Amino acid sequence: MYRRPHMFTSYASEAKILSSTTQRVAMAVGLTVLVLMPFDLPVINQLPFIRFLGDSDWLRPVSTVLVFVIAAIGLNILAGVAGQVSLGHGFFMGVGAYSAAFLGGDATATVYGHGLPIWIWLPGAGVGAALVGMLIAPIAVRLRGLYLAIVTLGLVFIGIHLGNTDWGRRFAGDPGLGRDFPTLDIRLWKEENPLVSVSDDGQWLWFDAATNQKSYLVLLAIMLVMVLLAKNIVRSRTGRALQAIRDRDIAAEVMGIAEFRYKVIAFAISSFFAGVGGALFASLVGKLPASEWDLFLSVEFVAILLIGGLGSITGTIFGTIFVVLGPLLIEQATRWLDRQTESEGIFGILADTVLTEGPGDFGPVSTGTQSPGWPLNVFDWNVALYGVLIIVFLIFEPLGLYGIWLNIKSYFQRWPFSY
Amino acid sequence: MATAVMPTESKTPAGCATIASRAKARAEATPDQVAMRQKDFGIWQEMTWAELWEQVLTTAHGLLSLGVDTGDRVSIHSEDRVEWVIMDLATVAIRGITVGMYPTNPSAEVEYTLTDSGARIHLAEDQEQVDKVLELSSDAGSAVEKIIYLEPRGFDGYDDERLVSWEEFLAIGRQHRQSNPAAVETAMASAELSDVMTLVYTSGTTGPPKGAMLTNANADFGMQIIVNSQGRFPGGKLPDHNDEILTYLPLCHIAERLFSTWHLVACGTVLNMAESPDAVLQNLREVQPTLFFAVPRIWEKLHAGVLIRHSDASRFKKFMLSRAMATASWIGRTRVANAGRWTIPARIVYAIGWVLVFRALRERIGLRHCRYAASGAAPIAPEVLEFFIGIGLNVYELYGMTENTAVATVNLDGRMKLGTVGEPYPEIADGIRIDEESGEIQMDHPGVFAGYWGKPDKTAETFTSDGWLRTGDVGEWVDGTHIKLIDRMKHIIITSGGKNVSPSEIENALKTSPFINEAMVIGDGRKYLTALISIEQDTVGNWCLKQNIPYTTYRDLSQKSEVVMLIQKAVDSANEKFARVEGIKKFRLIPKELDHEDGELTATQKVKRSAIHDRFAELVDSMY
Repeated sequence: MYRRPHMFTSYASEAKILSSTTQRVAMAVGLTVLVLMPFDLPVINQLPFIRFLGDSDWLRPVSTVLVFVIAAIGLNILAGVAGQVSLGHGFFMGVGAYSAAFLGGDATATVYGHGLPIWIWLPGAGVGAALVGMLIAPIAVRLRGLYLAIVTLGLVFIGIHLGNTDWGRRFAGDPGLGRDFPTLDIRLWKEENPLVSVSDDGQWLWFDAATNQKSYLVLLAIMLVMVLLAKNIVRSRTGRALQAIRDRDIAAEVMGIAEFRYKVIAFAISSFFAGVGGALFASLVGKLPASEWDLFLSVEFVAILLIGGLGSITGTIFGTIFVVLGPLLIEQATRWLDRQTESEGIFGILADTVLTEGPGDFGPVSTGTQSPGWPLNVFDWNVALYGVLIIVFLIFEPLGLYGIWLNIKSYFQRWPFSY
Repeated sequence: MATAVMPTESKTPAGCATIASRAKARAEATPDQVAMRQKDFGIWQEMTWAELWEQVLTTAHGLLSLGVDTGDRVSIHSEDRVEWVIMDLATVAIRGITVGMYPTNPSAEVEYTLTDSGARIHLAEDQEQVDKVLELSSDAGSAVEKIIYLEPRGFDGYDDERLVSWEEFLAIGRQHRQSNPAAVETAMASAELSDVMTLVYTSGTTGPPKGAMLTNANADFGMQIIVNSQGRFPGGKLPDHNDEILTYLPLCHIAERLFSTWHLVACGTVLNMAESPDAVLQNLREVQPTLFFAVPRIWEKLHAGVLIRHSDASRFKKFMLSRAMATASWIGRTRVANAGRWTIPARIVYAIGWVLVFRALRERIGLRHCRYAASGAAPIAPEVLEFFIGIGLNVYELYGMTENTAVATVNLDGRMKLGTVGEPYPEIADGIRIDEESGEIQMDHPGVFAGYWGKPDKTAETFTSDGWLRTGDVGEWVDGTHIKLIDRMKHIIITSGGKNVSPSEIENALKTSPFINEAMVIGDGRKYLTALISIEQDTVGNWCLKQNIPYTTYRDLSQKSEVVMLIQKAVDSANEKFARVEGIKKFRLIPKELDHEDGELTATQKVKRSAIHDRFAELVDSMY
């Protein structure tokens, strides 16, 4: 109720996503910024400290964030909401990607493909992954925690192995180069000129847009739909059932929640999101070998969850931004620092102490691309940083970035008291 | 939505205005407006006027079919909930008499009230309250024919034939309504102003409770004078359907009945039923009432809550809150000195404080949107009121009692005098006098009750020879307009030195400390004043926790020497406000929590002095 935020006169008002005016305004502003992000805006870009991306190097990583958010939300529904640990998320993404390729890709002499439009291959990717996920689900009824994690870990290796078989290659293409994935072009059916062209630079309504800008917008739209979908699943009857299972599966069953059914549903939903995310990721990259869907990809999503915050959709978005863009930031910072080596002042000194330019120089960060051991280069530092961050978050802030955000929020919500 | 089922054949000649006829008029005028809300599984379920009246009609028909006749008593023993109001309205609609009971009433008091009033129909909330009636021996003389219960849980295996559930009762009502569709309207049309509409049992700090008879005329007068008194409200804005009230004090008490039920029917104010006495603070925050009436106990609790959470706050918040409290106390003093009105500097300072702290603070205690607040039913320490005035609330102390339908004096907006209970309502200016000899406040106006039920001798005692109501309160005029209450006549202490002392004032000063729950000053016929003090377990326990003092029970807590020291400090600071002879020389902490069930408190949580005096006689003697 307006003026009485704690008074709920119906369940609908209690379950509202945006319950206050502040939240609605913040959401409107946020969406506007996201939509305008890929453009060069004449006035805004004159302001200090504010830069929209335009068609820059950053647009692709940001698009990757959008795709990863979809896949990460899938894992969060499984691990965070329903409490089922999975290290096989990369496998389900792969299943989604190849379902998409099978349906929407172009057939060649070596690979399958039916050239169907996006409105078929994208849901198809999700459904394909969901079906495989449902096959795995019965295991989760038997196994919990670490054991379930190990079984799902096995899926990743099975997946990569399958991709290498003769049969698998008909889907995945050459083990070294991979195959082409369908583009984001929107067609009604298999017509020559797409209804909305995404994969070419060119006119869109009244403005010019490059491929990157177009695919960013398409992915943004898909992501928003998927986030809304996830949010609705979590706050619905299904979501509450999953949370009950997470908190104590036996207790949940006593309360009348069919454990088997809801675990199957959890895997299906999770895999659906993974499949859609995987298909979009493959489409964004364009060409991928089957070995890309490996353990490292799965672990990256676990990192997103732990850093962002288990069980929270908002946290997942925080975590994805952090994990995907973080390394890029560090890399850029190192490059920038590298350029300061010769300059006077503190930045020069900083660059001298931090960077190792070659043999005989001291500093923990090597500017080389090879990893010859100490000093580590930027990429190795990034990997190490993951590990450190996961440990730090698990120990100090198990709710992740979302937990930090919650703390800040509740500090002001409890104002002027502490409880 | 429910307009379709509104009775249309209600063109019978109207009787006098009762709470039922007012409710009916509202249901016809504004059927879709929300009348009441009650929390159910976390959701405040709304009831519109049409739905409310529909239920009242069915209930009234149910009562008729159970044979309730004009002047029959219907007793209600329940926490505040919509059925309380519905049963009250339905009973008055068919010219019955509502008898309310405190939910905390133990079996003995239930027996007393049932026998004294001779109630035929009894509405009990749940198994616990039903048991209190079933426990009564058959020779107790209660005339209860039917016991209607609201919560069906726990009634398996009960085979008393008087029991009927609310649902079954409504079904009976619907049946009766089908065969006699106009019966209730006929009864309403024959209502007379002299009909007794309710018996309000006084709390009885001394003898057994007495049932004060209030008539339709009394109620009507109360609604005219109090509810529709423009001078009470800031800006003269009368209560209306935009106002929200949290109903949380027992509805059987005149204060909550007037503030809730009568506001509901007279002004269309929305009632929100608190879940339970324990959930009041939580509900307050959810409901954020615009009109708020509280007894001093609640104001003290809210005040103590702020102080305790202040001391527990993190460093920066503590600092900000300290500044805010200092500012609030300045604003409070300024406004009090200015008869409750704002001065321009106070407004400016408050505006800044509003942005930083006051808005959030008021939201947290649930009074963010409160435009009018009142304190009554017992004397309150001026410091507490000053604090709330300082954080921008418009709090007015008022005075009334069951026997005058709570129509007596009030602090009007912009004419407030802190420490007084205000001035007589303009309409009854000639109806209040203070007896020169005894200092007793006496009244004569249309709100004065019709007498005690079945106790003509007690009734006679309550009136002077010239027919004025003796309130039993000693007061004095302040500046010729306002009345300052000194104390209950029978509470005045005369020390052996011959000094007249009013204990309430000292007790209230003591109770401003968040650590003191209840205090009782002793000294009648003694050389000096002493006090029995009961500590507030929550706050003292919290304090001990922070001081690293381990404790187990309430008894243990009250015996800790550190706690005694803590209370000593509170007593010392209270003593500073009084002359030496009025200072508390010694005090003892009561080793148990005072309780209604043990006969130490009345149902309204007032101390029964003689009972406590007897019970802790050893403690008292040890001080002399």
